[in-house]
Amino acid sequence: MIEILRNLARRKLRSALTISGIVIGIFALTTMGAMAAHFNQLLDSGVKYYGSNIQVGAPDQQRTALLPFSKMDAIRSVQGVEAVFPTYQLPLKPGTGFSFGGAPEAIVNRIPEQTARSQPKTTTAQGNDLSADGRGEVALGTTLANEFKKSVGDTIDLPVRPADAPRDFVNHPFKVVGILSGTGTAPDGYAYVGNADARMLLADTLPPAIRNTVDLSQIAPGFTVYGKPGSSLTQLDEIANRINQPVPGVKATKPSVPVDGFKQFVAIFTTITTGAGVIALIIGGLSVINTMIMAVSERVREIGLKKAVGAHSSDVVREYLMEAALIGLIGGVVGYLLGVGLTILINAAGRASNLELFLITPALTALVIGFAVVLGALAGVLPAIRAARLDPVTALRTTN
Amino acid sequence: MSNIELTDLTKHYRQGKNLVRALDGVSLQIRSGEFVSVVGRSGSGKTTLLDLLGLLLRPTDGTVQVDDMDTARLRDGKRADLRGRRIGFIFQEYNLLPTLNVVENVMLPLRYAKSNVKDGRGRAVQLLDLVGLSDRVRHRPNQLSGGEQQRVAIARALVNRPALVLGDEPTGAVDTQTSEELLALMRLLNREEGVTFVIVTHDLELAAQTDRMIRLRDGRVVGDDAVDRAQSPALAS
Repeated sequence: MIEILRNLARRKLRSALTISGIVIGIFALTTMGAMAAHFNQLLDSGVKYYGSNIQVGAPDQQRTALLPFSKMDAIRSVQGVEAVFPTYQLPLKPGTGFSFGGAPEAIVNRIPEQTARSQPKTTTAQGNDLSADGRGEVALGTTLANEFKKSVGDTIDLPVRPADAPRDFVNHPFKVVGILSGTGTAPDGYAYVGNADARMLLADTLPPAIRNTVDLSQIAPGFTVYGKPGSSLTQLDEIANRINQPVPGVKATKPSVPVDGFKQFVAIFTTITTGAGVIALIIGGLSVINTMIMAVSERVREIGLKKAVGAHSSDVVREYLMEAALIGLIGGVVGYLLGVGLTILINAAGRASNLELFLITPALTALVIGFAVVLGALAGVLPAIRAARLDPVTALRTTN
Repeated sequence: MSNIELTDLTKHYRQGKNLVRALDGVSLQIRSGEFVSVVGRSGSGKTTLLDLLGLLLRPTDGTVQVDDMDTARLRDGKRADLRGRRIGFIFQEYNLLPTLNVVENVMLPLRYAKSNVKDGRGRAVQLLDLVGLSDRVRHRPNQLSGGEQQRVAIARALVNRPALVLGDEPTGAVDTQTSEELLALMRLLNREEGVTFVIVTHDLELAAQTDRMIRLRDGRVVGDDAVDRAQSPALAS
């Protein structure tokens, strides 16, 4: 190993340039991989959430319609349906759309019986969960708690007043009773409130004409339907079809539709990561091949000597593969650290606006470093074989 | 490896359309513990003979028998093992690895040989002491003179306790005084370690200080005599 390090030090500039090639590739692989890991985690959460229930809303042509609770009774009677809950989801900061860093922050109703069924599981890290009929309570996802610097016992006004809020903008004080454990996914950006509070916040968003004419305690924008625990996606799809047939005025979305959408997204990000890997392969691999071929050319006599003193061809191959793999390892570690450094900086800068883009996982670390080593070793195969095939007699009398 | 027997040893090369008869039917016996020189003009076949003895080359015809074992029939791996355990090499240009220090260079053959040398470093240090370089153990080759580098190469050749050491013009790159010192050293090791030395040289004065001189011309043995050192000018001086 010491000899390999000293060999790399013999041609410092060349070694540095070669390692730089690997560094660039692995840097790209790390950052793209971290971005893909972040999105995959979000999407995985989406797959879990949407793959565990059926979302029911108004039919397509009545997107803004509110559904009466009587529809819940009709849905409950459908074969395979185990539970139905009203769903309220309102923007935390009105006017906020899709966030590139993940799902937009939202105010969501939290029902204990539903929480037991929902995926992914959200548990309380500090304080308590919402009390059964408590009003004015909120349990904050960890991202929101950090973003607004709130602890248990603090107060937060919901929804959060945007900078360009209209004059008639209304919000209400909520007491933070709990901070949820981080999931790395959408619930981290949710403010969970009780049903009654959710209805109140929904009412604030409705035109007065509607607000004053309908019984808001008996309507919801949508429902979340659960089958038996452990129901497969196909089984939930079948339940969705069954809801759509006998229950008029609702549209049950087959969970496979959003799940397939998420999987497509996963596939896109996997393609991006693979693309970064191919770039690393081309840039880094070619530079390692070039360096190792030059190293073999320069060390012909040394190879001849080693063979003369008893080295087998396999010994020579092993030494050159190790050297190439070490180039990969050094480049991999440096590229990885640079990539991690950049992701930490960007995440830190984006945290204030809930725009975390990267996630470094142990699997990504192992993949990136392993990839760099394997890449280096593979690039070293051809030069190593060339070295091993050298005729010792010719090699020993070569002048270089 | 006590006895080496070359029988009708032939090595032909093709150089373009011409056939070069580097060795052409050489038959010799070298006994254990001998101190032999091989002399001849350039192109006489000295180095080819050394490469065949060192199992670096395979003969076109004939045999190199070591203790009644025909080495030409051995596979490459076995020949490498035999080189590593039983043969030491000393080259004119020393061939030390620049990235290794002195003691690491001496220990190099131990890396590859399935040797029974237990304390490799101790053995290397002992040899460096024997060749007078105990104060240069951690130096790099480029910090040594030519003569010192060749001493390191001699220590390296002996680290595996070989039965045979082959020297290819081992004093060819050093001055006369250093040449004599190196020869004396090899002679000492020949006696003390009981190692057979075969030295290829074009330097007749050096050859005259060995026990036996084999003369080659055009790939054939033209002389094979015990050296009468009493008549050797080098010894007389």
